[in-house]
Amino acid sequence: MNMRLLMTLRVTIATPQNIAAVPHGTRRTVPITGGDFDGPWLRGSVLPGGSGDWLLLRADGVLELDFRATLRTDDGALISMRSFGLRHGPPEVMEALARGEAVDPAAYYFRTTPRFETSHPKYAFLNRRITVATGDRRAEGPVYTIHELH
Amino acid sequence: MNARPLMRLSFTTAPVEEIGLTPHGTLSIFPITGGSFEGERLRGTVLGGADWVTAAADGTRELDLRVTLETDDGALIHMTFTGVRDDANHYFRTLPRFETAAPKYAFLNRLLAVGVGEGHRDGPIHTIEEIL
Repeated sequence: MNMRLLMTLRVTIATPQNIAAVPHGTRRTVPITGGDFDGPWLRGSVLPGGSGDWLLLRADGVLELDFRATLRTDDGALISMRSFGLRHGPPEVMEALARGEAVDPAAYYFRTTPRFETSHPKYAFLNRRITVATGDRRAEGPVYTIHELH
Repeated sequence: MNARPLMRLSFTTAPVEEIGLTPHGTLSIFPITGGSFEGERLRGTVLGGADWVTAAADGTRELDLRVTLETDDGALIHMTFTGVRDDANHYFRTLPRFETAAPKYAFLNRLLAVGVGEGHRDGPIHTIEEIL
């Protein structure tokens, strides 16, 4: 599988909103307050308005992630990003993460599949790309290393 | 980013159902009548399903597939993928997801995968890898 680095994305988060038990699992919403991204072809910041991560903890212990963020490039283009992901690992690792401790990202599975939408011609290539990301859940917010499939 | 082979999956299709121009693009539905899949950890046949394909104004096609797989030991697996097919640029990539109740195949519920598709006269073939 041929992949190349698209960007590293860092987001900052606010206090999670615990929706708690819902029919499909345990739901928690994590507002995103900002962040930044940079890569070989684009860089910029994360807008807080429509950005967040909607989490659902399933009965099998797997956390489903429904991440949405609006990115603004340093030359003013807006890019909508949506990403489905999964996070799971040994119970002690997941508990350490929940306590906000620093955990080696290799100790758990945190992968997402970002898709992008933009009207800006310079970044239109993103509309046609499938990408995959590895996540690193840090206390201040997750860091995603996003690769494009080509 | 590491990946390891999951399966090679081929579909047989029935004649396309052309829905035509809709608010999101030109929608074509490709019924999937059968097929087979094979990998180190699982193999079996495709029971059926379809791929809802929307062609955008820029010529790329967005794929939205659902099929049911049956393993050679009788487990049913619900598989979906979204993807992009852009023949002008030889780009045909998908993001498969799986759901199953069979304990033996529960690992599929916990992984993300990527696929590389190839168009063939008899139907597409997908080489699917697990994202490690």
